[in-house]
Amino acid sequence: MGPKAIDAGRHPNIELLTYSEVEEVSGYVGNFVATIRKKARYVDHTLCNACEECVKVCPVSKPDEYQMGLSSRRAIYIPFPQAVPCSYILNMDDCLGNNPIACGKCADVCEKKAINYDDEDELVVREVGAVIVAIGLDVYDPTEMDEYGYTRHANVITSMEFERLICAGGPTAGHFVRPSDHERPKRIGFIQCVGSRNPKIGRPYCSNICCMNTIKDTLLLADHYPDTENFVFYQDIRAFGKSFEDMFQRSKETGTRYIRGLPGDVEEDPETGNLVVTVENTTQRGGNGRSGLERYELDMLVLSVGVIPPKDLAKISGMLTLSKTSDGFFMESHPKLKPVDAPTRGVFFAGFCESPKDIKDSVCQAGAASSRAGALLNAGQIQIEAITSRIDEIECKKCGLCAKICPYGAITWQKGEVATVIEAACAGCGSCGATCQFGAITMRHFTDDQLLAQVRAILARKPEDKVFVFACNWCSYAGGDMAGISRIKYSASNRVVRTMCSARVSEDMVLEAFRCGAPVVLVSGCHYADCHYINANRQTVVRVQRLWDKLEKAGVRPERLQLEWISAAEGQKFAKVMNQMEELRKTVTIKEIEHGREALKPKPKKAAKKKEAAATAG
Amino acid sequence: MPDEPEKKDDVVKVNFDFRRELAEKIEGNLASFCYQCGACVGDCPATMYSDTFNPREIMLKVLYGLGDELLGEDSVMWECTNCYNCHERCPQEVKPVEVIISLKNMLADRGIYPDPVAKVIKTFEETGRTTPLSGAVDKQRERFGLPPLSVVPMDEISLLIEPAPPEGEDN
Repeated sequence: MGPKAIDAGRHPNIELLTYSEVEEVSGYVGNFVATIRKKARYVDHTLCNACEECVKVCPVSKPDEYQMGLSSRRAIYIPFPQAVPCSYILNMDDCLGNNPIACGKCADVCEKKAINYDDEDELVVREVGAVIVAIGLDVYDPTEMDEYGYTRHANVITSMEFERLICAGGPTAGHFVRPSDHERPKRIGFIQCVGSRNPKIGRPYCSNICCMNTIKDTLLLADHYPDTENFVFYQDIRAFGKSFEDMFQRSKETGTRYIRGLPGDVEEDPETGNLVVTVENTTQRGGNGRSGLERYELDMLVLSVGVIPPKDLAKISGMLTLSKTSDGFFMESHPKLKPVDAPTRGVFFAGFCESPKDIKDSVCQAGAASSRAGALLNAGQIQIEAITSRIDEIECKKCGLCAKICPYGAITWQKGEVATVIEAACAGCGSCGATCQFGAITMRHFTDDQLLAQVRAILARKPEDKVFVFACNWCSYAGGDMAGISRIKYSASNRVVRTMCSARVSEDMVLEAFRCGAPVVLVSGCHYADCHYINANRQTVVRVQRLWDKLEKAGVRPERLQLEWISAAEGQKFAKVMNQMEELRKTVTIKEIEHGREALKPKPKKAAKKKEAAATAG
Repeated sequence: MPDEPEKKDDVVKVNFDFRRELAEKIEGNLASFCYQCGACVGDCPATMYSDTFNPREIMLKVLYGLGDELLGEDSVMWECTNCYNCHERCPQEVKPVEVIISLKNMLADRGIYPDPVAKVIKTFEETGRTTPLSGAVDKQRERFGLPPLSVVPMDEISLLIEPAPPEGEDN
């Protein structure tokens, strides 16, 4: 990785902003404006030649974050040897030199005069056409899994700490020792799935990299210290990548023992600092009815920790209107067909922040993301589907509601001004169209008139026999297709109107269906956290709940309006829901339908009343 | 499924009726989510002292629906100490101890329980307590500065535990 970063730093077309944070991103595809905070380094990296004189005189000693706190660093330091740019930074929280009378030693010895205690954060603004989000990951902290005693036993370490201990550039210069007595451990255990595949602690997903990391570690140990004995406690070894299985077999050949079973308990021998692990070897059910409970005394225990979404993920997702999947990582535009595109146009993902993956997959995804961004920018123009929103300047009452609910931030509005749509950013979900109370928004190809005409046409004849369904394009309608393709039988009474998103269905459309005599109405969309328009179907929920209230008030049974989430793969569910709706339809009497028709008639508007009054008076 | 066939050349037949019966006893049919990692066994005090008790195997038998084996006359279920360690360890939230308690209830429904358990039941029915009162207990409490034990409202308890008239749905 080091040489790659140096190449990037020297490339004429790449501007590397290190030690910087993105504060804000505005704009849209092709026209993003990013405000970036370049944090004060207190060392001018163009002057610094990394001579190390300042480090020698710095009196402050702090745990070195890069070495997992296993060694110390000064207040002025290089975060890690391959850092780009190769220059020191001064951590002001640690430094004594805020007040030069107190210290100021580093500035005294710096011949280049590179140190400036008065350095300040700088805000820079960059206009960019596309954004690639590659914010990486955080590592799971095993403190809460107390049974492994990470905080109680010195010789229980995480795989990250192991990595530093066995690294030639690590705190021990590659001499592998254990924390308690600095002796070389001979019997080393690894526990897999610490913080992975564990719904109880809210981490139900597989972290993807830990199995191979442990296998690599056992091979490293076997290579450096052939006399060590390694034990891996696992529930499944997932060695699925190219030549991974080969590595697994090699690890076994070197004598590493793989024991299928997660330890229940880890005890420490207070005399020796050794660890006793009790585990059931589930593949070794001893004969004569004995259970396979085994105890291992180990010199060191490595917790193979999982990975978690980076802590800044929420901040970035707010800036770029992104959403998350249930595991907390970023949601891509389409899990199979657009794996590197974000739902927001012009934003792409690379690496861990999208899902746990190894280096090779991260490199693949980074290449794909930069290619996607390159293709977008080189084309110079983009094509968008003709389903975007348009605001009528005359009808718009300047309320700004549409701008607030747009999941893409594609509508700009300022108090007292007509809202405007940035078409390049609009994805065409239609939430705004359904939200606008004044009919000022036209959703191209899914206009209010078109959809209402469909409602009326469908219910023109024998409405009492029909189950009226609004289905979203991506999931529910596709679920219906799936039911058809799978030849699943279900009641034939349903009539489906397709909208791009369930959030396109306005209150008036549902009410119109009841006015036209629909016995039951179903609004269906993608699963709640799986909306194809970031989170537009939250609007659906709000709207349907409001409709339930309205129906109740009007004396109409609220059950006659149903809300269901059906995904594109759920043909079975689509059929089941249609059958349920049919059952529900049978319970609705003609009398109820007639009552609904009358009770839900639109009340004449005040303005219209006035006009009428004026007309009669005149 | 690899190991575990009880009779050598017999195919294990999943008894779904048993699984359904159990699912009614325990909310959420939790055992279905067991992936046999063995975390429950490593920390089980009963397994430590017994050659036959193994919560993971009990979960496996539940998955297979081997009701006859689980609820036999010599059931190992009573070896469970209800310590809830397995509940703490289980990454899948299977709650093995609750499955085992349900199995104990099913055993009791079938009238299968060892003498000590029968004794506890009898004591409870008579006194409303699981352990009989004695003067020694009172003395000990006095020594620790604890108030004397309150009287058990036996009428309420007998109302709770008396069998429901139409179907025998008791606890």
